[in-house]
Amino acid sequence: MSSQEAVLQTEGLTKIYRSLFTPAGVKAVDGLNLSVRAGETYSVVGPNGSGKTTTLKILLGLIFPTSGSASIFGRSIADLAVRERIGFLPEDAYLYDCFSGEELIDFYAGLFGYPRKRRRQLVDELLSLVGMQANRRVPFRECSKGMRQRLALAQALVNDPELLILDEPTSGLDPAGRHQMTRLILELKRRGKTILLCSHFLAEVEEVCDRVGIMYRGRLVAEGTLSDLAGEATEIVITTAGIGEAAAEQLAQQAVVQDVKDGVVRIENADESQLWAVLESIHRAGGQILEVTRPRPTLQDVFVRAIGEEAQ
Amino acid sequence: MNPGYARVLFVLGLIIVAAIIAVTRKAWAPGAFHALPSIWRIAKITVAEARRRRVLHAVVVLVVLILFSMTFFSYLSPQEQARMLISGGLAAITVFGILLAIFVGAFLIPQDVENRTVYAILAKPVRRFEYVLGKYVGALIILGAVVAVMTAVLVGVLAIQDRLVADLPESPFNPNLGGVIFAAVMSYCSLAVLTALIMLISTVASTTMTVVSAFIIWAVGSLQSQIYDLAESATGATKLVLLVIYHVMPKLENFDFRHQVSNFISYSVYSGWTAVLHGIGYTLVVLILASIFFNDRQV
Amino acid sequence: MQTRRSRKWLSVGLMVGVLMLIVPLQEAIHRTRPSLFDPDRRDRRVSAISVGPTPAVIAALGGFRTVAADLLWLKAENVWHGGSWWAMLPLLDAVTQLDPHFLLAWKVYGWHAAYNLNAESETLVDKRFWLRRGIENLERAVEANPDTWEMYFELGWTLFDRAHENWRAAHYFKLASELPDAPHYVSRMYYRSYEHVMDFENLFPAMEWALSRHKDVAMHQKLVRRDIEWWTNHWDDPQEHRRQIVLENTARKQRSVPYHMYPDDPYWDVCPVCGLPSPKGSEVCENPLCGHRLRAEAGGESLQPSAG
Repeated sequence: MSSQEAVLQTEGLTKIYRSLFTPAGVKAVDGLNLSVRAGETYSVVGPNGSGKTTTLKILLGLIFPTSGSASIFGRSIADLAVRERIGFLPEDAYLYDCFSGEELIDFYAGLFGYPRKRRRQLVDELLSLVGMQANRRVPFRECSKGMRQRLALAQALVNDPELLILDEPTSGLDPAGRHQMTRLILELKRRGKTILLCSHFLAEVEEVCDRVGIMYRGRLVAEGTLSDLAGEATEIVITTAGIGEAAAEQLAQQAVVQDVKDGVVRIENADESQLWAVLESIHRAGGQILEVTRPRPTLQDVFVRAIGEEAQ
Repeated sequence: MNPGYARVLFVLGLIIVAAIIAVTRKAWAPGAFHALPSIWRIAKITVAEARRRRVLHAVVVLVVLILFSMTFFSYLSPQEQARMLISGGLAAITVFGILLAIFVGAFLIPQDVENRTVYAILAKPVRRFEYVLGKYVGALIILGAVVAVMTAVLVGVLAIQDRLVADLPESPFNPNLGGVIFAAVMSYCSLAVLTALIMLISTVASTTMTVVSAFIIWAVGSLQSQIYDLAESATGATKLVLLVIYHVMPKLENFDFRHQVSNFISYSVYSGWTAVLHGIGYTLVVLILASIFFNDRQV
Repeated sequence: MQTRRSRKWLSVGLMVGVLMLIVPLQEAIHRTRPSLFDPDRRDRRVSAISVGPTPAVIAALGGFRTVAADLLWLKAENVWHGGSWWAMLPLLDAVTQLDPHFLLAWKVYGWHAAYNLNAESETLVDKRFWLRRGIENLERAVEANPDTWEMYFELGWTLFDRAHENWRAAHYFKLASELPDAPHYVSRMYYRSYEHVMDFENLFPAMEWALSRHKDVAMHQKLVRRDIEWWTNHWDDPQEHRRQIVLENTARKQRSVPYHMYPDDPYWDVCPVCGLPSPKGSEVCENPLCGHRLRAEAGGESLQPSAG
């Protein structure tokens, strides 16, 4: 499969939950058109209730769409052969809690029909990969949150899947745990796996993902690489010292200056000559220039902006 | 009733079941190759999970204690003792078997759905009907093991009592071991049918609803003859509903040989095995329905 | 989506159809089983089930009638050892209602009424009442268990030993001995019943019949042959007649049951007051403690009842 071919594709995917109390229905997913290319790491981000988990559950056949279609590896999601090639890490690692890590891996490997020897190999390999060799006999319920997430990732890798679907892989983890999980995901990415990731933690998404899709109220409101989404950095921040109030007021009157507060001057959409003009004004007013930076918009900024626009 | 009638029904039942299997083999044979290992794996994990939960051990210990306590009635004559042990022991096996069938059957699927452990399984190449059947086979193994242990203890207690009272000149003890084992096996078969019905409900309901429904089924099953009487005196829609309930509910009474065995009355073994054949047919239909409903269940 | 839904409901419909075909067979299987509980018994009088121990009531409703019967039986045992004999009967009644095949309960009820309560009663009316009660109970037991020899035997024995209704007893002994597994002594009791009232017309055929049974049991054959020989040699022995009359009527006196008058006896007249024999034609009873006039006046007719 070429890297440009879509491994996962949805067209107009819609899910409406109807109940006695809501006969009209609640649209959890609304006409979603998603496409994940081979070898890329695609992250779906969005606030709670935006339809991320619902989308994943539809893709895995746990719930059924109201309309629209989805395909994985060019086949319908209802095709059992698809599941031979995907791995799923559920949110909050829901696994049988009375079994140990090695028993769980053995069980899930058995569902793929692997013989005993292969299963034993897999247990060793996967537990080493996720760093659970030392705790292989600890029952799941006695494991810490971090250990559970790692075991859940191990079970998702049992069949060496081409496509990995991870639902909130770092939720509930401490910073060390998040760091570990992120390293693992990067390792899997390095091995050429296609990863579809749902997460709240925008910082880690920035670290691992090639493309991001922002979901809000069941719709994809923004999609693209980080740089596409972030766009050009138009703001410049000048940190100064020793500018009096009168001088600050005079500075603020310049067209490109947005704000002068506590010695921090923000200018927007300024070309080079305008920038030099501002710097000269500061110098003439007797101020000291401490720092000049051009901050890039974070994913958080993009996210908030996209949601805000959509909300309007 | 002509005793040969039961034999005829049994042979007829065998022929029908064999015919159904033969005629439908093209439908199930190809899928069976893939399905059987998955079903077996899920059954194994179900059994392993039940073993880890100490509740089962507690139940078995309780029943064993009850059975041993029945040997304390030494002031009764050997004949009375035999009757007490057999009827009480078989009743204990049935009661605990039914309670176990209800709780095992009711918790298997709904608990997985509520805990969301089912996600990781259904995300694997496991068909939904394989999951349902696997859970059922696991339940059967659990019930079978518990019933086997309880029956073995009962048989042991009877054999020991028989040895102890062997020199007494009064009426014989007569442990009726063959009858006891037959009654226990039939009891197990009735539990298998009941469990299938409970699992059918569990594929669409929550744990609590399933447990409540299971107790209602048990109560209705015990009062079947009263329902029939009610139906006879009712009219119109009520009569229809009652008759449907009466006929559709599995007649677990057909598997009940406790009374005959405790009172040393002769019974037709063919009647029992015909009931088992019927039970197999009923169970298959119920499990297929369960699979159909679970297939559409949004987890 | 529509196709999926319609396919689902089609499959469900098909399965329900198959279920509808299978379920009527349950009735057919049910009919191959012997009916254990007579539905008419529902209308019988309310007994200790409604007031008995709660576990028994719950067990009975749950389809565990046998266990309920056991629990009530244990309570009956306790009551017996506690000394309240009168409370036993309703409990035993409940036991037999719940489990008509619990033979021991029927036997104990019958024995308790016909023996203990009969013996404990002070007036004749009471004695006869309890005896009747015991016998009626055993008759119900026989109806409920027509295929077991034990209840026929129990009824026969109570009629023979307690009520001294020898002909009825003989009838039930014969029925009992014809059923499978009946021990050999039952067929001997059949002719014993006739023996005690010296009904030779029925005695000899009964003995021959008993001889034809249990041919493989040497002891039985020996005992029956011995009895046949004895009666062949002594059927016309006046002293043997006298012995039998004294035995039978003494026993009847102890049971407060009317004496048997032996109407056709060629050698003895039985006194209606003391039940003992006096030589045929005696005017006065030979028993010095009795002295009852056997004839109205000299040459008059005997006050004995004529042959029935």
